[in-house]
Amino acid sequence: MQPDDLVKALAPKLGPNLLAVEPFDGMAGRVRFKREGALDLFRAVRDDLTFTHLSMVGGIDWVDHREVFYVAWSDSARQYVLLSTDVPATDAHVETASSVWPSANWHERETWELVDITFDHHPDLRHLLTPDGYVFHPLLRSFKLHEPEELEVKSRHV
Amino acid sequence: MSEMWINMGPQHPMTHGLWNLRVRIDGELILDADPEMGYLHRGIEKISEDRHYNEVITLMDRTCYVAGLAWEHLYVLASEKALHITPPERAEYIRMTCDELQRIGSHIMWYAAFVQDIGLMSPFLYGMRDRDLILDLFQSFTGARLTYEYMRVGGVRNDLPPTFTDQARKILDWLTDRFHEYDQLCMGSAIFRKRCDNLGVLKANDCIAHGITGPMLRSAGVKRDLRKDRPYSRYGSVDFDVAVADGADVTARYLVRMEEMRQSVRILRQTVDWLEKHPGPVMADHLPRWLGAPYAPVGREGYLLKRNYAKGVGFSSVEEPHGEAQAYVVNEGGEHPYRVKFRSPVFANLSAVRQYLVGYRVADIPPILGSVDVCVGEVDR
Repeated sequence: MQPDDLVKALAPKLGPNLLAVEPFDGMAGRVRFKREGALDLFRAVRDDLTFTHLSMVGGIDWVDHREVFYVAWSDSARQYVLLSTDVPATDAHVETASSVWPSANWHERETWELVDITFDHHPDLRHLLTPDGYVFHPLLRSFKLHEPEELEVKSRHV
Repeated sequence: MSEMWINMGPQHPMTHGLWNLRVRIDGELILDADPEMGYLHRGIEKISEDRHYNEVITLMDRTCYVAGLAWEHLYVLASEKALHITPPERAEYIRMTCDELQRIGSHIMWYAAFVQDIGLMSPFLYGMRDRDLILDLFQSFTGARLTYEYMRVGGVRNDLPPTFTDQARKILDWLTDRFHEYDQLCMGSAIFRKRCDNLGVLKANDCIAHGITGPMLRSAGVKRDLRKDRPYSRYGSVDFDVAVADGADVTARYLVRMEEMRQSVRILRQTVDWLEKHPGPVMADHLPRWLGAPYAPVGREGYLLKRNYAKGVGFSSVEEPHGEAQAYVVNEGGEHPYRVKFRSPVFANLSAVRQYLVGYRVADIPPILGSVDVCVGEVDR
């Protein structure tokens, strides 16, 4: 599958929410989309393009915005595809992919707590790797190492 | 009877690491399960942002402590793409050799721990004995038995010693005979079969929907192996079969891992032959000073020189002993990666725990979770 094939399949479904499809080393391509078209894109990628397996969801904190990226795998094409969307740091939220790919559940919980990106309509948005009540988001660039913070952590069950 | 939540962990013989499995039970019946992770979260992705590219390799050994070399391989592949470096062919073959030895080592470790969970004591001792031979082999060329720090961005740290091929062949011959014994101990035991058959069943469709990979997916009959489907390093030029089973239960996962070890031996015989015939460099030429020549420690001066290298994004995915691991490395110029993201196969396999635990009995939990091969180091990172 080539970037052109992705454009052909996705452009009619997404319209202006599809921003660009770029070549990406080792993958079918990198699809940049607007977050408004997230669910349409996930469904089209899974059902029309056969990327049935969502491998990971991650977030990147850039200087002026945040990025959410998804990696999905197709068994029939034997290829990965990278989907990515930019969200403003002040209003970082995107629709959850877990209604389309259940495997997104934990990946999104992790991205939410570490990169501070909220996933709308997520079924179970709780802390996963950090304790309940942990107010920091370690994977933001503003979270500096070598400066230990004092914090009080409350346990979930006691 | 009244329902209740019980904690299995964080200190429990079944967990094989530090995590807490909360299960809701009605008598012996499991109604719900909710794993609680994070006890081993060290922030490896965050620490990596503050480290030099080659220093991250140290962390990779700690990510999965039974398959350190597979994780090193994953990370260096992604970093090489991000930094636009091509390793020499001999280094790629050495990496494949490491990967496959590590796969056997990891599966033997799994076998030993899993069978002990079920109550068979002697396989544990046999397993640890045989894994030690592989650790000896690693020690002969990396100097370490658990945290190897052997691979480098651009190649591997040092070449193999001249005794390597003979020692490796001896170990492979020994192991081939032992696998037969393992099978007799387990598949020949009525108790083992009674405790494992039709347990923890997860069919192919559910596996795919929940992102499950590796031996768990192949035990459901899906013939998917990145070494075949998307060959990295030189896996395209070695001959082997993908191990599959169709039971989708604990026994099927056992069978898949046993067959994988046999296939690993098959791959190793080919790579060892290749390495014997093709001497050559093991590090790429013209590396920046801070990426280090073989043996040379990275000097402090490397950090002080602010040089800009072409930006890039690297993605790699590797068939790790537990499943499909992925790395995403963002290089924004400079000596440190801007962002490193790892995908751990066990993370995904554990996230579906509700799917393969609900409906079984409390006493079934150790065999079922044993068959998942949990490595908490790579789940929490």
